[in-house]
Formats: sequence, structure tokens, C-alpha cells
Amino acid sequence: MASPAIEARQLRKTYKSTRGVFRREKVERVALRGIDLKIERGELFGLLGPNGAGKTTMVKIFTTLLLPTSGSALVLGLDAVKDQWALRRRMGFVFGGDRGLYWRLSGLDNLRYFADLYRVPPEISRKRIPELLERLGLKGRERDRVELYSRGMKQRLHLARGLLNDPDVLFLDEPTIGLDPVGARELRNIVRELADAGKTIFLTTHYMFEADAVCDRIAVIRDGGIVAEGTPDSIKNLVKDQGVVEFEVVGMPADSIAGLRTLPGVSSVAVEDRELAQLVTVQCSRPGDVITHLSTVLDGVPLTKVSSREPTLEDAYVQLIGESS
Amino acid sequence: MRSLVRAGWSAFAISVRLKVVSPWAYLNWLVFPMLFAAVGLYVLSRPGASGSHLVYGILGGGLIGYWSVAYIDGGNGIQDERWNGTLEQLFGTPTPLWVIILGKVCGALLFGLISFVPTAALAYFGFHAVMPSLDPARFVISLAVLTFSFFCIAQALTPLFALWRWAFSMINGFELGVYVLCGFMFPIAILVPWLQGVAGALAPTWAVRALYASTTAEGAHDFVAWWLYAIALSLVFLIGGYFLYALVEREARVSGQLALA
Repeated sequence: MASPAIEARQLRKTYKSTRGVFRREKVERVALRGIDLKIERGELFGLLGPNGAGKTTMVKIFTTLLLPTSGSALVLGLDAVKDQWALRRRMGFVFGGDRGLYWRLSGLDNLRYFADLYRVPPEISRKRIPELLERLGLKGRERDRVELYSRGMKQRLHLARGLLNDPDVLFLDEPTIGLDPVGARELRNIVRELADAGKTIFLTTHYMFEADAVCDRIAVIRDGGIVAEGTPDSIKNLVKDQGVVEFEVVGMPADSIAGLRTLPGVSSVAVEDRELAQLVTVQCSRPGDVITHLSTVLDGVPLTKVSSREPTLEDAYVQLIGESS
Repeated sequence: MRSLVRAGWSAFAISVRLKVVSPWAYLNWLVFPMLFAAVGLYVLSRPGASGSHLVYGILGGGLIGYWSVAYIDGGNGIQDERWNGTLEQLFGTPTPLWVIILGKVCGALLFGLISFVPTAALAYFGFHAVMPSLDPARFVISLAVLTFSFFCIAQALTPLFALWRWAFSMINGFELGVYVLCGFMFPIAILVPWLQGVAGALAPTWAVRALYASTTAEGAHDFVAWWLYAIALSLVFLIGGYFLYALVEREARVSGQLALA
């Protein structure tokens, strides 16, 4: 039986640093607290979590860029600590953002350089690079300097680089961050196609709809620990007996928010500032009761656009993150 | 093995191309050497200055440019990779860091050698200065030994910049120290004895001494001994570098200091 594509056993990482100028003080920050995880071959796995939760640390350990403090990280049965040279030939990684490319060189030069560093034989890279440029919609612009590329093109170039060695496993760390909706959708489609073609993909994101749209299975990480794991539907089921009431108000007083929280069946209240108003999201077990009591709780505060809907993955995520914090 | 050679060659080619398109590189190989050469030639060509010392003006600016590009660009190149966000990307490839740095250092050395062209032209056309008694064979061998010493120092020290961001702040001190101690623009005989002792521990000192000696018939010269000193001291750097790379490969993965953030 084939080993899992990715496996973590009691994976821990603690960063050590110092602070202070004259009186140096050692500081330890725990990034991962004993993660256990198993991802099968061909799966598109999503890791969700807020900033600083440990997503990037986990990706960097699997991609051999970081050593864990304890525990083990295996990719394709290879130890990410000891077998880094063999593993680097068989996996790819893509980090989100503008950086990580030579802006003064062309996209083609970037790909050729990294193909050599990935030790791809020239007879293969000569075929693969044009294929990747075609597949990722960069054909015709490959000789332009990267500094002339749009953000979406840069991100697709990152992805092309991650695929140069035709990896069995691909790690994508927030690949759609900063992309416009069209560019993000294109990239998600490409990622889905790669997974359908049999590649194992480990994707980190904090966009819930992204995980919902493309991932076969997801895990939610908070403060270095996994708080939920399963298919997007099974995670949504965690709040299946809940409903969501959303409404807009202008000038929501703090005591009204407190009043909402005391209503029967309310599990969480989130307030998001909009341009002139605030969007209030209430997770509750009985949406009808909440809507009935709204005018009493708000006590004359102007109220618009009241709606009730089914919970989404984002609602489940907010509840999970809220529960564990 | 062939794929490693190709990776090193590719790092060399990219290093040269990045220098060609970077305006900052021109400061190191063209502007600064010309400034140093102009000042040196002006001072050494004034009435009363020793004629044999004029060669320090002819070659000194080029030497400074050569060293700056080889060493500073090595360190600065790593810092640039960090700022670009490419340092982690390089580190995560199946090519060992020493191979990539070897390619980059060779690219810097090639570029640095160009520094001699504008400074020699300035000396010849601007100050009508020529080397008094050039021994071409010994000059070429001395330049090759000097190149080897620069290569070994840059190859050994560059990974420090990958590992410790603060090492970059020391770069100017070491660069200027080598200018002075290794006698790029004046004979180290004018330094106090203990500084001459320190200079003797640096490989470029002996190669530079041989280089200047090959341009003049004055004094007693022991070329073979100087070349051997330079090569032996360079090898010490190279052996030290071997252990340094092992340390960098491990420590960078412990601390996660390859990224900018």
C-alpha cells in the first residue's frame, strides 16, 4: 500500500529569538503544537486559519525550508528533515505575493533558470516550459520583463515555476492573495485541473469560499493546533443546526450588540464596518426568533436589509476560531 | 553531476545578466574604480612622487573595483535575493547553495575583471602612465592567483550573508580593510609592523605583492613563494567555507531567516 502523500506526526515548531538591547532576553514562540495530519495521494487539501496560526510554518517544514523542533514530517514517504535533496526533486511550492521572481529578467529567463536549478534535463525543460506557458496563459508575454506583468501573471509565473519539475506534490501558500476576482478564479480553476490530473495539492488560504470551491478536504488551524478536519460539507455540518441572520444598521451601539448576544440561541455576533453602515452577522439556532426580537434590541436604531440564510463554511470557520480562542 | 554543472553555469549566467541590467553594478565596476584611480594617479604623478609608485595608480583603481564586485556583489547579491524573495526559492531547489553561490561569485569575478579596462585607459590616456617594466607571464599568473584568492574569500564568506542578516552591515568594514591591508593602492611597507602582520594573513596581500612586482624590475622578488602563500591562505578560506556551508544549510532551516519577514 502506498504511503500517504503528506503526513505529519506530532509536528512541533518553536521559534527562538532574543529581545532587548542591553539586557538580552530569550523569547520562545510556539508556532505548531503537535500536529497530526495525513493527506492521501491525489487529494486537494486546504489548510485554513487566521494570520499567525501556523499555516506557513507547516508549509515550510514540508517543503524542507524549516526544521521542526520535534515530530516528523513526511512527503511521499520521504523525511522532510533528512531526505531533503530527494524530496526537493519531487515536490514544488508556490508562495503568494509579488516577490520571489527576478523582475528585471523575462518570465522565460526566470523559468529557464529555475528549471536548471531543479535539475530538469534540458531536453525535457525545452518542451515543458512552452507547455507551461501555454497552459498558464503566459504565451506571447514570456519574453517581457516580469516587472511589466500584472499581479495575476506574476502569480501564474510562480505556479509555472512550481510545476517545472512536474512535481507529485505541490504546496501552495495563499496563492490567490492580492489577486482580483477574475485572476483568483482563473488560478483556482488551474489548481483544480492539476488536482484532477492526479497531483496532490496542499493549499493554505484564509478565503473560505476558495477552500469550499476547490478542496476535497480541509483542516482549520488556530494557534498552532488543528481544531477541525474533514470535507467542506462535514465542517459546515458543525453548524448545520444553526442559521445566520444578517442586517445592516447605521450606528450600532455597544449595548445593542451585548443585547443581541443575550438572545436565546445566539452563538456569535460579528460586526463588520461598511462605508456608512455596519453589517451585523448573527449565528443562531432560531433565526426567526432573532428577527422577531431585533427591533426591541436595537431600540430605534435604523435597520436595513435584514436577511436569513443557511450557514456557510465561513460561518463554521468563525465559530471554530471563536470557540478555540 | 552534469545537472549540477548546468545549475552552476545557469547561476553564473543569471548573475552576469542581472549585473548588466542593474544600474548599481555600474557603480562598483566603473564609477568607484575610476574615482579611486583618478585620485591615485593625480597624487602619484605629481612632481616629487616616486615613478615606480605610479603603477599603484594604474592598477589600484582596477583592484578596488575587482575586489568590490567580487566581494560586495557576492554579499549584496545574497541580500538582493532576500529582498526579491528569491533566496528561499533558491534554497528550496535540489541544487546545493554552494553551487549557486559558486556560479554567482564566478559571474562577479568576470564582471570585476572589467574594472581594469576603464582604469587602465584612464591611466594611459589621461595621465600617460605606463607600467615601467612589465613581465607579462608573471603578471598573468599573479592575476590568476589573485582571482583565486578573491574567489575563495567570496565563496567562503557569502553564505554568512544568507544566514545572518546583520552580517551585511559588516560588509563595508571588511571591504575597506582589505583595500588598506592588502596594499591595493600603496605598498604595505608603509603600515605599522603589527598591521603588516595582519595583512600577511590575508591571501590577496601576497597576490597583490606579486602583481605589482611583475610590473617593475626594482627590488628582490620571490614570486613562487608569494604565489604559494596566497594559494595556501586561500585554501584555508575554502576549507573554512566547506564547514560554513554545512552550518548555513542547517541553521537557515532552524531559524527560518532566509525570508525577509
